[in-house]
Amino acid sequence: MIGAETVLERIALHQTRLHTPGLGLDSKGVALGGKGLVLVPSIDRLVALLAVYTRERSLEDLMSSLAMHVVKSKLGTREITIEFAAESSDRMDRLAETARLVGGFTFTGTARHFVQYRDAAAPFGYDATELLSTDAALALYHERFSQTYDVERAIELRPLILRLMPRVDPQTKLEPGLRILVAEQGLGPALVHYFVRSRVEGEVGVAEWPPDSAFDETPVRRWIFRIPDLPTRMRPLMHDTPGITCFVPAGPGVAVQAGHRHPVELRACPVFDPAGLVLVRGGGEEPWALPRLPPMGALSAFARVDLRTEGPDLSASSAASQPQIVRVPLRMAPSTAPWKKVTATWIEPAQIPLLRRLAYALPHQTIAQARMAMTSRGAFVRSTEGIEAIPLGTFFVEVHPNLYVPAGHEVTPAVAPDVLARALGAPAGQVLFLGTDARAMAVEEAAFAPMETALLEAPPWEPVVAEVIDRTLEEATLDLRVTSIGMLPLRGVEAPPKAET
Amino acid sequence: MVNHPGAIAQELFRSLMAPLVLGGAVRPGHAIGARAALSLGEMEWVCPDADLETRVQAARVRRARRLVPIDALAAATPAEWTLAAALHDLLQAANPGFDGALRRSAAVRILELARETIERVPGPVHARDVLSRHTWFGRLLDIARTDTTVSWWVGSQKFLGVDPPHRLEIWPELRRVNVVTTPRALLELAPLAVERSRLTDAVARLLTRTPLTELATCTRQEPAFTWSETALALVATRAGRTLALRALAALPPGEVDAALGRATRELLATRRAAGSPAVTLLAERALAQAEGHAPRPQGVAARAEEAFARGLGAAAAVLMLERSGAAWTEDERRRLLAVLDPAARSAAAQEATAMLGGAA
Repeated sequence: MIGAETVLERIALHQTRLHTPGLGLDSKGVALGGKGLVLVPSIDRLVALLAVYTRERSLEDLMSSLAMHVVKSKLGTREITIEFAAESSDRMDRLAETARLVGGFTFTGTARHFVQYRDAAAPFGYDATELLSTDAALALYHERFSQTYDVERAIELRPLILRLMPRVDPQTKLEPGLRILVAEQGLGPALVHYFVRSRVEGEVGVAEWPPDSAFDETPVRRWIFRIPDLPTRMRPLMHDTPGITCFVPAGPGVAVQAGHRHPVELRACPVFDPAGLVLVRGGGEEPWALPRLPPMGALSAFARVDLRTEGPDLSASSAASQPQIVRVPLRMAPSTAPWKKVTATWIEPAQIPLLRRLAYALPHQTIAQARMAMTSRGAFVRSTEGIEAIPLGTFFVEVHPNLYVPAGHEVTPAVAPDVLARALGAPAGQVLFLGTDARAMAVEEAAFAPMETALLEAPPWEPVVAEVIDRTLEEATLDLRVTSIGMLPLRGVEAPPKAET
Repeated sequence: MVNHPGAIAQELFRSLMAPLVLGGAVRPGHAIGARAALSLGEMEWVCPDADLETRVQAARVRRARRLVPIDALAAATPAEWTLAAALHDLLQAANPGFDGALRRSAAVRILELARETIERVPGPVHARDVLSRHTWFGRLLDIARTDTTVSWWVGSQKFLGVDPPHRLEIWPELRRVNVVTTPRALLELAPLAVERSRLTDAVARLLTRTPLTELATCTRQEPAFTWSETALALVATRAGRTLALRALAALPPGEVDAALGRATRELLATRRAAGSPAVTLLAERALAQAEGHAPRPQGVAARAEEAFARGLGAAAAVLMLERSGAAWTEDERRRLLAVLDPAARSAAAQEATAMLGGAA
């Protein structure tokens, strides 16, 4: 109901008697109820209110009493109320100023009847002279309207914050300080060794999430890195590598993907458990939440350990001379034998652009059968049905499970593949490629992903953002639409008043 | 159109002012009239659609930031409301519905009142007002009507500024339906119930009330650019010249030279005493081009007006360099003089200097 006449009256200085139940005067003489209430017209205004308020103050003192509801008026319009303990006129003043900025109205009251909070026109506030007789949950009295509302549903702060999509802000990539990296399972060990080799200090752990769908039986595992001071030279790699997501801490227990900024200052929102971790991702992806942080170990503990597998533990000195062990280095020699089981190719980084172009010409069957691993040495592609359909790189023959030698070459001395595999001592889960210089490259088997997935990885975000910016800046055409001129096109069209001389 | 000023303002904002800034469909309705237009700015109006108002303000700031690094613009001023109402009536006068017996006089009356309304609006007095008006009316000349001709195997029908009914486009293969859409700019609309020259004159008068728009569209075909009092007053100030130079930098330099040259030649021939701001603008433009801060025209001037603007600008710039030498180092001045010298010695420059009475 929109009141035709105002039912509010301004409270005068030294006035003591008030009509509105639950409304009293504080020490300054300002009308104040037990609660404050802000009415905003839409969810975006609510977010704006939170964004503006949290820029300078924390929500911590409000949290215990904060309640947000979607309310419905008799006319069916839906608005949003934010209720909180009024406590003092200082707090109310702050919230009223913020609400005014975002187009909201501020009220105060105790139970059901809320009157407009004080403003410049009424420094001591307002009192309702006539109360609405209603069963509605809320009755709001404002200078412009009096309205009753029923509560439709509650809005929780934490789900609301987690549903808000962070805005793109490349500046956050440059901010110094702690970084949290999340790497897909296949990338984790490589990233650990990269950090250890580069002497980057930090902690690492493995976290598990429930499977994405009911058809997956195993949980999704990802590696979590806490790097206190990520070197600047490594940042572009961490930001741009598919499978690695970099986060910047935005408060206790919460971090936002680098290159994005949450619309609300999360540091001021005490809704995240400091013992857990919520990782807010950009691009509309759902956040990753960890109720409890997994055990983390120092990166140095994961450094590669080499054990001597042969020989005594101690070498005792002896006068007698020991016979020398006959060992010769492995060599690769060209062979005239016909090529069999050519099932892998190594495409060096310089040839990757060619592979990208070739991808458009490859038949579906080839792409579907091939599996590819991207490494710093280039791409390794394997296909059990033969690799000849991809005419790029150095071809390899599988001489033993997970052991490849270059096609057209053979190992010398001519040992059996089993012996060669044992001699190389590759652990399970590693695929070994012997180059023509007899050096072995080991690629983790888990790093091989279906080629069709690898080919369709998302492009870097910058071009996408540029498109968005272009679209935003694009000006729509001005289309003049013709409307009916009506029966009396000159009705109400009057000449200007005579100009004063 | 209802008579209450608040309702008129709401309808005007929704149907014209917001689309003028955001783009989209402009739907002029019942004519507003001069009296209501002049009273629009006097009332206090709050836009009921806060979201639309926010988007309009953001788009205005975006347009302003092409010229000046500002973060906020005030809401529409009374003068802007009045100009918007006048533009509304001007567009309504071009409604093809008036092109019929016993109706033409109504369109003529509406256009006449719109012209009178524009005359009552004072020119801007501050660079901020100039910029604010430009953010509202900067795309005034981009308004175009889409005319659609639908032809089928036994006939055809033309629709002016309205969508053809769906029934005429069904079974396109069987009925051999052919749809041709033609965008028509505001000053090319046909049929018109008013004289085209009167409509063009009204648009020209409206442009004089927003001088930055007048300068930023100086390369237009119709109404041809001439130096109005408000445009001269704008470029007579330091801030105004900066705004004008930035607005001109977005246009093809050769076309700008031709438009400014033609208008300045006419100005010097008829009102030489008032020509000083225009000459200063041309001089600063020539200096900016010589320093590489503004796009330079390629090749020699193909038209006499173009050569006139370049010659006059270069001659005045040389004089400026000689008089206020302290602003440049000796090396810079020599380099600038070397760049400006060919144009400053051209025949067009000599003609311009002669028109100025040798005092350029």
